[in-house]
Amino acid sequence: MQTQISVKTAVVAVVIALAFFISLEIYLRKAGGFVGYDDGPELWAHSRDMVYEPSDKTVVFTGSSRIKYDLDIPTWEKLTGTHAVQLAMVASSPRLFLTDLANDPKFKGKLIVDVTEVLFFSHRGTTYPEQFVSYYHKRTPAQKASFVLDKPLEAHLVFLNEGHYAINALLGRLHVQDRPGVYPFLDFPSGFDRTVYNRQCIMTPEFVADTNQHNQVKAIWGLLKGDPTPPMSGKDLDSTMLSVKNDVNKIRARGGEVIFVRTPSTGFFWGAEQHLFPRKLYWDRLLAETGCKGIFFTDYPDMAKLDCPELSHLSQASAVIYTTTLVNVLEKEKGWSFNQPAKTVYNLTNKNLSRHGF
Amino acid sequence: MVFNSYTFIAFFAIMLLLHNLPISWKAKKINLLIASYIFYAAWNPPFILLLWLSTVVDFFVGRALYTQPNIHKRRLLLVISLIGNLGMLCFFKYGGFILENFVHLTNLLGIDYHPAKPSIILPAGISFYTFTTLCYTIDMYRKESKPVKSLLDFSLFVTFFPHLVAGPIVRPPQLVPQFETPRKVSRQQLLDGLMLLTLGLFMKVVCADTLLSATADTVYGAGIPMGPLDAWAGVLAFSGQIFFDFAGYSTSAIGVALCLGFILPQNFLCPYGAVGFSDFWRRWHITLSSWLRDYLYIPLGGNRKGKFRTYINLMITMLIGGLWHGANWTFVAWGGLHGVYLWIEKAIRDSRSKISNAPSEEVPKPVIVTASFGPPLIGKKSATFVYALLTFLLICITWVFFRSTTFSGAGLLLASMSGRLAPVGPPLLATVDIIKVFVVIGLMLIVHWSMRNTTFLKTMGKMPWWAVSVVWAGMIVLIVLSQGTSKAFIYFQF
Repeated sequence: MQTQISVKTAVVAVVIALAFFISLEIYLRKAGGFVGYDDGPELWAHSRDMVYEPSDKTVVFTGSSRIKYDLDIPTWEKLTGTHAVQLAMVASSPRLFLTDLANDPKFKGKLIVDVTEVLFFSHRGTTYPEQFVSYYHKRTPAQKASFVLDKPLEAHLVFLNEGHYAINALLGRLHVQDRPGVYPFLDFPSGFDRTVYNRQCIMTPEFVADTNQHNQVKAIWGLLKGDPTPPMSGKDLDSTMLSVKNDVNKIRARGGEVIFVRTPSTGFFWGAEQHLFPRKLYWDRLLAETGCKGIFFTDYPDMAKLDCPELSHLSQASAVIYTTTLVNVLEKEKGWSFNQPAKTVYNLTNKNLSRHGF
Repeated sequence: MVFNSYTFIAFFAIMLLLHNLPISWKAKKINLLIASYIFYAAWNPPFILLLWLSTVVDFFVGRALYTQPNIHKRRLLLVISLIGNLGMLCFFKYGGFILENFVHLTNLLGIDYHPAKPSIILPAGISFYTFTTLCYTIDMYRKESKPVKSLLDFSLFVTFFPHLVAGPIVRPPQLVPQFETPRKVSRQQLLDGLMLLTLGLFMKVVCADTLLSATADTVYGAGIPMGPLDAWAGVLAFSGQIFFDFAGYSTSAIGVALCLGFILPQNFLCPYGAVGFSDFWRRWHITLSSWLRDYLYIPLGGNRKGKFRTYINLMITMLIGGLWHGANWTFVAWGGLHGVYLWIEKAIRDSRSKISNAPSEEVPKPVIVTASFGPPLIGKKSATFVYALLTFLLICITWVFFRSTTFSGAGLLLASMSGRLAPVGPPLLATVDIIKVFVVIGLMLIVHWSMRNTTFLKTMGKMPWWAVSVVWAGMIVLIVLSQGTSKAFIYFQF
């Protein structure tokens, strides 16, 4: 086989590639880029593995994106002395995750389910949960090993932040004009959705301080206004309630506990949610049919006063307050006990980002 | 494990190290065999037992087939081997399909029969290693080659990790002699192998998974009438995805084997540069089409039993080839459509040869030839290019059946492609996705056409060394920037 591929060719190729990656990494860091984990099925499966820890040492959370922002995991773990396992997924309904845990006879722990009505009471947001649950149950030893090898790379290299610097993300940001009616590329500012290893989502201080970026995200939420899908009702809602009730009963029958939480939203988002999903018809009915306890943010002044910079999720500073209040309510009102007594809100600064390993 | 994963990079680095240690050839082969079992067990460890069973049974049956003088006993041994191999394949791959069709049939006959749905996990690569072991026993029965002397060499032939789960489908004479004598990988082989591995990963990770798969998934998963632009973009995207995915695996496999000093057969030769369908099958999944030719088409009689039987044999081969790809009638339809294309092409070729042999000069030959395939074209080269393009477009139609899970889904997409259906909703695809598809498919067709008579390595060999470095670096950069989940190769499910 006659070719000109020589050692020189290979070495120069590697040097060019390395020079490119080093330059890119330096450029991205100077431009304010940060490392972040790909919130894909591998990371979710890694968390899913932890649900079997003893129930006095672990609490499992699931839901949509809100609980991923609003639960500050280091605060939770410091106040309760229990491990918080985050199984929520952005743009997803937690019902499939709930069913997955209900059908797992080994799961007997405490579960907190975040209810974002527009996803919980709908048939949207099933793609990720189906993929993730399927991935978890079919995960091969090779995939587990790849995750272990991938983790240190993602933890140190900014350009491996898939959501912002992978080819498809870069192409999407070209904002080529679409035909009318095409679902657009959702261009979230990079500081909005930083995912850390425990799967908590964090807004960067730069994002929190920049109202232009808030407006960019609000414009994306505004796209929901054009969704013609009516809220779930009638037999559809009945069967959803029944399905949730059955799942909850399965977990309870094994000694587990389930609590629903409604995390804060503000502005037109909160207004639309109140209008489309009246509390009495959805939230109250959910608690009544399942017999579960619930924590609705407007019932607690410390939660109700929190502001969502982009109307739907809390900044990390607010997440600390939300989490502390949540722990207090769980202990004092809902009868949960933890290894450590709940403490007062502890002081948070942006330096607390380092607690997440950054 | 898949080639496009961190696990494989670590595994392969260890393998390269072990294979170049100053140890005996036998020890190196044992290393390779253990590594191959680890490679396979990394998916689903229990299925390694099936692989062992298949290997051991076929090794001893193959030897007995060769040495047994009694023809009846030899036939019996062949039947045992066929039942063992095909039975395993039928159970794991076609068990559910057979039961489903049986239930349909009984229901049609008015019998109310509704058994529980079987839950059978398909072992990775079962179709590939079954064909690999089958060709050995058939060769032994025909005495076309000598039996493999050692179980170690035979096990390695069946299990050698680069080809184990998705081919190329190797024949004993292609690989066993390479295990029998000590080999040392040359520096050139190592460099060529690394280049091919990079190319294969580029095809899979960048072209198939990053640039095309989402568009194909969106269109094939829509299940609603859509505009012709969206429909064609989706169909073209899948045509590219299936090529880049499978050829990417084969190229990686050949590269990995070459890095270890072993040569695997070519599996793809720029198939979308094919002019006609028989040319396509000489370029697409070459090791499967040659397997089907040698172990199915020719034993059926090939073209030796008259024109009618030739057509029938051709169709049977293509239908079974379709079924080999998956347990669904849509795969059979895919094979059947290719069979029809080959029939038409053969009829045209026969009519052309008749004309060329005809003593009469009254009918101008070129008119008939072109009229039978398309409008008269100016210039031979441009005509050939148009034929190649037409071949590609007709092959895209066949992929609709291959990718769709139901005939109604395929029909809906074909009707959407024709523009006869009014879309029920807004357009599906973002402009950037459509641009990606047309740019990637356009470049792919240009590359296939311009490289249809050469290979990638030969093309690289003609370029200045620095340009090869830039191309190589470019591929590495794009692979890393693609990121994403290590998606399994489509052909693993076959």
